Amino acid sequence: MSKTTQAPKALRGVGNFIDDRFHLAKTGEKNLRKVFPNHWSFMLGEIALYSFIILLVSGVFLTLWFKPSMLEVVYDGAYERLQGVPMSEAYASTLYIDFEVRGGFLVRQIHHWAALIFVASLVVHMLRVFFTGAFRKPREINWLIGVAIFGLAMVEGLFGYSLPDDLPSGMGVRILQGVMLALPLVGPYISMFLFGGEFPGEDIITRLYMLHVLLIPALLLGLIVAHFMILWHQKHTQYPGTGRTDKTVVGTPMYPAFAVKAGGFFFFTFAVTAGLSGFVQINPIHLFGPFTPTSITSGLQPDWYMGFMEGSLRIFPNWFDIAPFGYAIPTAVLVPGLIVPGLIFGGLALWPFIEQWITGDKRARNVADRPRNAPVRTGVGVAGITFYGVLWLAGSNDILSETFSIDLYLTTYIFRVLAIVGPILGYIIAKRICLGLQRRDRETLEHGYESGTIQQLPSGEFIEVHKRSSDETIHVLENKPPLTSTALSEPEVDDKGVENPKTRKGPGKLRLALARWYTKDNVSLDDVEPYSGHHLHHSVPEGEKEATH
Amino acid sequence: MKWITARRRHPLAGYVVVILALALFGVGYAALAPTADQAEAQTLAAEVPSPDDVDVAAGEDIFNQTCASCHNYDGGGSDTGPDIRNSGAASVNFQVSTGRMPSMDPDSQMPRRPMVMSEQDLANLIAYYNEEIREGGPDIPYEVPGGPPQRENFEDDASYEAAMEEHEADFEAYIEGADDTDMGMKLYLTNCAHCHGWSGGGGALTDGRWAPEIHDATPREIYEAMVSGPGAMPMFSDTVIEPEEKQELISYVKKLQAEPNAGGIFDLNRVGQVAEGFIGWVVGLSLIIACAIWITAKQRAHD
Ligand code: HEC
Ligand code: HEC
Ligand code: HEM
Repeated sequence: MSKTTQAPKALRGVGNFIDDRFHLAKTGEKNLRKVFPNHWSFMLGEIALYSFIILLVSGVFLTLWFKPSMLEVVYDGAYERLQGVPMSEAYASTLYIDFEVRGGFLVRQIHHWAALIFVASLVVHMLRVFFTGAFRKPREINWLIGVAIFGLAMVEGLFGYSLPDDLPSGMGVRILQGVMLALPLVGPYISMFLFGGEFPGEDIITRLYMLHVLLIPALLLGLIVAHFMILWHQKHTQYPGTGRTDKTVVGTPMYPAFAVKAGGFFFFTFAVTAGLSGFVQINPIHLFGPFTPTSITSGLQPDWYMGFMEGSLRIFPNWFDIAPFGYAIPTAVLVPGLIVPGLIFGGLALWPFIEQWITGDKRARNVADRPRNAPVRTGVGVAGITFYGVLWLAGSNDILSETFSIDLYLTTYIFRVLAIVGPILGYIIAKRICLGLQRRDRETLEHGYESGTIQQLPSGEFIEVHKRSSDETIHVLENKPPLTSTALSEPEVDDKGVENPKTRKGPGKLRLALARWYTKDNVSLDDVEPYSGHHLHHSVPEGEKEATH
Repeated sequence: MKWITARRRHPLAGYVVVILALALFGVGYAALAPTADQAEAQTLAAEVPSPDDVDVAAGEDIFNQTCASCHNYDGGGSDTGPDIRNSGAASVNFQVSTGRMPSMDPDSQMPRRPMVMSEQDLANLIAYYNEEIREGGPDIPYEVPGGPPQRENFEDDASYEAAMEEHEADFEAYIEGADDTDMGMKLYLTNCAHCHGWSGGGGALTDGRWAPEIHDATPREIYEAMVSGPGAMPMFSDTVIEPEEKQELISYVKKLQAEPNAGGIFDLNRVGQVAEGFIGWVVGLSLIIACAIWITAKQRAHD
């Protein structure tokens, strides 16, 4: 690219015309040269963006034919098996999309597969941000926006799933109503309000439709735009490496290399979604048949992202149902239906602030943490994943019970125990692994890395040759951020011998305890000089140094 | 399906469909002719074993050797098997033709397996049961088509093929004879789906029991399962669900089972959302992430 090629004259003319008026070239130049980090885990969010675009486009296509109406019609369309069956217009129009709109079946499946992939990519993206500590100052707001997007996406999916008014969608709405009814006092009113009367009523599909195609997508779009503008302004975090500090950003300029790759990546995302939609049947509403209130079936679940809710409803015991003053409070529905998701989402939203409070770290952090260097955070994250995962699996306990021939009740008990023991074990194991890795880092810094070559010394002893690590590795290890908390440096007694009131009681005491927990066991590399370890046994004999380094 | 979709807008498609439909109608009508009653009588005649064809004494031997150990010689039951005197011939036919009886393990639910005896042995056994043991219970619904004829029961190919054709025509007539999909669907989804699943793929029950997949069951076996209520399954007698309703129900199940998967060649066994979620993660998202890794690896190599 030594010579710049000139654009054709006509194009240049248009370009100059626009530029004279809007001065785009300057802003464009600046933005196009934004750098992007070159690590795959930074592209997870892009998957979410691209599948959202796919959802928007395919969703608009569906609205052209979908009729959000619960008016009963007798089907006489192209799908022979259901001819003569009474059903809602919503269901009939979905059959119409499937069998009479050219490409309609494919687009419906694309919409659904994209929905599954969208939420899945949100989850992995979020986990990447969590485990690398990329939510820390200055990115807390964007983290909160992310949590909101995640929550809205789930609700959006649930509502979309309910639109076709087929067998499983009706059951999903029924469960939703059950959770609403469980709210003390206000529950029945909220339900009456949403359904416009008794379940299922005649309005619910119309209302869900408005929420699904208008309100929630608009909110999501707004949040996503905000998310990206903030990202643009703050830039990505970056993994530690030479030349990467909290103040400089390295990567590839947006244009041309990254833009081309990102464009290609969009098409790949679309290809996978379309490929699945072309070959793998999803949500076959024509097989399910229309929803009728008397229908009940096993083996149908909500989409995966609602699975953890389903699971917590299934395994939570009804031992705590109480009825003060003859007014039943069904905790067996309330706790799993509202408190469990509240804990998960609340925990997600609050974690950056909790962590900041514990460490007292108020500096802007642009270099991502290696997960091992924040063992407690990583442990908590793994505990969260385990909890979510157990609930998620419990949501499919009937399928698991059938597939693996385990007694259904037994699975419930297993999941109850796992939901409590699993996260604790997950925390302990993850933390241990982190500390182990930290210790290995220390070894590497002291001795170089284990080359796998075994040598026999003249004395007859066998040793494994350690080789020198690359400068990059040394740099990363040497710059391991210290794990401390300002709470620990606050003196417990002041110079006059009086106990520091800040740490003596209440929040201060809690904070001190948490700070100890957060920093305990951490392996410090501060005192290590690279390759200062015992040369005698582990490093390369003099003569070979040339060859290895 | 693709093949049909591609051609269904062809100018001649309409005629082809009409001609096919007429031909089918003609064949179906010929099979039923001249009146429905007579037709039923014919199938009955073809199916109910006449007294000359069965050997009650042979049936007694079979019962005493293979069944009496658990159900006792008089069918009155023992520690290892229930009283079957009021179970009815439908129950015996169901239990033996689906391979459940003779049971291998009286303490647990038996899976479906190939029948352990020949058709003739079963006919003999039932004749003996009807004559000596039975005190009540539902009859075998001979008017409902059973399984296909077995080659070894026929002397030559021609008679076997004729019997096969007749069987297929009966099956068609029974399934197509039901035309109220809504009724069949509601009956199935209200009475059966919470155990056997919406697709008939089966599902888990409590206490280590399970509701089996019902796709291998013949219409007659489905009928018999309803009237006899095997194991943990409730009984749906002909007064609860009338024979015509049973026909609608069975027709619904069989048509749904035969329905091609319009959404793609992989139907995920019609397991539904759990399988879809699994594929969404393991195939969909994983492939995309693999691509991201590939793209950035290339890019880093150029840095
Ligand atoms: C090893 C013991 C055993 C043998 C042998 C056995 N059965 Fe059974 N049978 C049982 C048990 C146990 C049940 C109950 C099964 C259940 O509830 O799931 C049963 C159930 C039945 C039933 C259904 C009863 C009802 O009212 O639902 C019939 C009919 C029957 N057996 C017939 C037979 C016939 C005919 C044979 C011989 C070919 C036979 N059994 C051999 C143990 C046996
Ligand atoms: C309470 C759950 C339950 C309900 C409801 C139920 N079944 Fe069953 N069904 C079972 C169980 C359990 C078995 C297996 C019985 C055994 O082997 O002991 C079974 C067996 C069957 C079989 C035999 C399948 C085979 O191929 O071996 C058929 C057919 C069947 N059921 C049809 C029906 C139909 C039709 C309905 C609705 C009218 C129905 N069932 C309702 C639980 C149920
Ligand atoms: C985050 C974004 C979205 C998610 C997660 C989502 C999810 C879903 C799901 C799971 C379904 C059920 C599909 C099926 O029947 O198999 C659905 C249906 C539908 N969606 Fe969306 N959707 C989203 C955005 C949109 C948008 C932006 C529109 C329109 C502007 C839209 C329009 C529709 C329509 C009309 C239906 C009903 C038709 C049908 O079920 O086939 N969706 N959506």
